[in-house]
Amino acid sequence: MISSIRFELELALRFLTENRGQTTLILLGITIGVAVMVFLSALIDGLQADLIDKTVGSSPHIIVTRQAQEPLQLPEGSSHTGLFPLQLQRSGNRPIVEWQALTTAMRHDSQLSAVLPVLDGAAIIRRGSVSKSVALRGMALAEADPIYHISDSIIAGSPKMEPGSLLIGSELASELDLRPGDTVMLEIIGQDPISQLVGGIFDLGVQNLNKRWVIIDRTRAASLLGMQDRVTEIEMQVNDIFSASDLAQRWAERLPGYEVVSWQESNASLLSALKSQSNSSYTIQFFVLLAVTLGVSSVLAISAVQKSKQIGILKAIGIRTASVERVFMLQGGILGTVGSIGGTILGTAMAQIFIFMASSDQQFALLLKPATVAIIVALTLLSAILAAYLPARQVARTNPVEVIRNG
Amino acid sequence: MADTLLKAKAIIKEFGAPVPTRVLHGIDLSIECGEFCALIGNSGSGKSTLLNIIGALDRPSGGQVFIEGIDLAGLTDDELAFFRNQTMGFIFQFHFLLPQFTVLENVLIPHLIYRGKADKSARDRAMYLLEQVGLLHRRDYKANSISGGEQQRAAIARALMNQPRLILADEPTGNLDSKNSAHIFNLMRKINQENQTTFLIVTHDRNMAFSADRIIELKDGLIVRDECVCGQDPNQMLAVIEPLY
Ligand SMILES: Nc1ncnc2c1ncn2[C@@H]1O[C@H](COP(=O)(O)OP(=O)(O)OP(=O)(O)O)[C@@H](O)[C@H]1O
Ligand SMILES: [Mg+2]
Repeated sequence: MISSIRFELELALRFLTENRGQTTLILLGITIGVAVMVFLSALIDGLQADLIDKTVGSSPHIIVTRQAQEPLQLPEGSSHTGLFPLQLQRSGNRPIVEWQALTTAMRHDSQLSAVLPVLDGAAIIRRGSVSKSVALRGMALAEADPIYHISDSIIAGSPKMEPGSLLIGSELASELDLRPGDTVMLEIIGQDPISQLVGGIFDLGVQNLNKRWVIIDRTRAASLLGMQDRVTEIEMQVNDIFSASDLAQRWAERLPGYEVVSWQESNASLLSALKSQSNSSYTIQFFVLLAVTLGVSSVLAISAVQKSKQIGILKAIGIRTASVERVFMLQGGILGTVGSIGGTILGTAMAQIFIFMASSDQQFALLLKPATVAIIVALTLLSAILAAYLPARQVARTNPVEVIRNG
Repeated sequence: MADTLLKAKAIIKEFGAPVPTRVLHGIDLSIECGEFCALIGNSGSGKSTLLNIIGALDRPSGGQVFIEGIDLAGLTDDELAFFRNQTMGFIFQFHFLLPQFTVLENVLIPHLIYRGKADKSARDRAMYLLEQVGLLHRRDYKANSISGGEQQRAAIARALMNQPRLILADEPTGNLDSKNSAHIFNLMRKINQENQTTFLIVTHDRNMAFSADRIIELKDGLIVRDECVCGQDPNQMLAVIEPLY
């Protein structure tokens, strides 16, 4: 059996190299098919990775609060894009007393990449006669940077949050015509207005945040809001973005009485859009694969007819039916292997050229995942072998007597 | 020497359904080791059909075939394939060499089918056989680039590769001119005499038939003559065969 495979492989190779033209054409077909699949995957994966990164790259993936989520309410006048960053969706949560024990436990979870306790409060910023209602966010800069990259987002002034100063968004700054060093009045409901200095102006890339957020140090927020050593929520980022909902689930089980929400839950519409995009890409790839399969099948069927005399004599000489089948399955396998290798190279090259040509006004980078390429190659190989199955069965049943009789 | 190589009992063969036509009507035949037999008869008398059944290429509709005491009916298709490979050599009117392989590789194929690779002794045997059939100088030619007579000689070498006990030949010279025919026949005779290989040859060639040890004649699916011609006068033999055609 092992030794007969040697001969079967030799025979498969000889059959393929004999019909050079046919073999070259079908190899070209498989190569182009695989290249299209690889390129399309890289395109869709790149597009989706970019979309997801834009949506949740600089925002928490999981938020832990102490209150049942309220119905989603967008801030007035916000542009409705269908993508809702998680941090826009909460309001007036109950304080978390044991937050330090919680964050310590969370920092031990190796799947979490950032943990940020935040103390939120509502406030009004007033300058002269103009006033704006804002979200006062108390957080430590060092803890906030891994998620929001505040230090890198400062467009004027300094990110340092010294006592008596606060950071405001670029949108709010232009509405109130504020520059670093200006003073504003900060009013917290039920308390006397206090005068504050604008320390820095940030641009977080999301209009609503730039318009509504006022960031101060957490301990100062605690004293301003009269909530000593409390936070209202804990925000987290995870290493593998798609594990967020599973992780949220796990933490929800560990934290009874808490609300643990992942970005997937709050971006269901984005995810379903991505899913249907993937599905249409899979559909295209399926038909490409089908075309490749039919191509291999028809080429081998023709070859089977051309070789039926030789198969007949080989059977008279003693080759087994299963052996003949393998000769043709091997041909499918060889075509599939060579075609997938060629297709992977061509597809990658096409992706590189695409990146090179679109570099100036490129919106996103192509993403070539080794696992995806491996799946495409495996599927192509499997299809090519399956495609060979019918011709293989047919030719393997050649009756040597018929061949001998008819010359 | 008197061992029985082949024993056929009441072989019946029918073709076609639902109304089968009977082609062989009960053939009893016994061939000893080392015999060189000619199978003759009119076209359509059933020679090829009988040869294919004896050669384990086809199964009879009735009756039994024993080769070296083994009942072929008891073997599966795969077992028959292996049995053919080890026990029998076939030579057909058309040589059926594999054009993708060289002459030497073609001779090695019966060996390669089950062994995968040719070791030195296999190669030596193939070279020896090529020398015997006078094709050593053509061994590295592609099989389809040599002449018809050479191809048939290569097919004979291939049939001998696995040292078969029985060679079945169906009009081996049917496609060749008289010079090549004589060459092929002498070659088979020589192999028969040197190795005691048993031959059963279907032929329309009178000279060939009466140069055999034994003539078996089929008519309408029955054996009508089975004569030992060893040591007989060829001219007298000619008289025996003449009325047949
Ligand atoms: N597969 C088949 N199906 C139907 N009929 C067949 C088949 N094989 C052979 N026959 C018939 O059986 C009869 C004997 O055929 P066979 O080939 O054995 O004759 P033959 O003696 O070898 O003739 P020839 O000298 O022309 O080769 C013929 O009538 C033929 O038509
Ligand atoms: Mg015949």
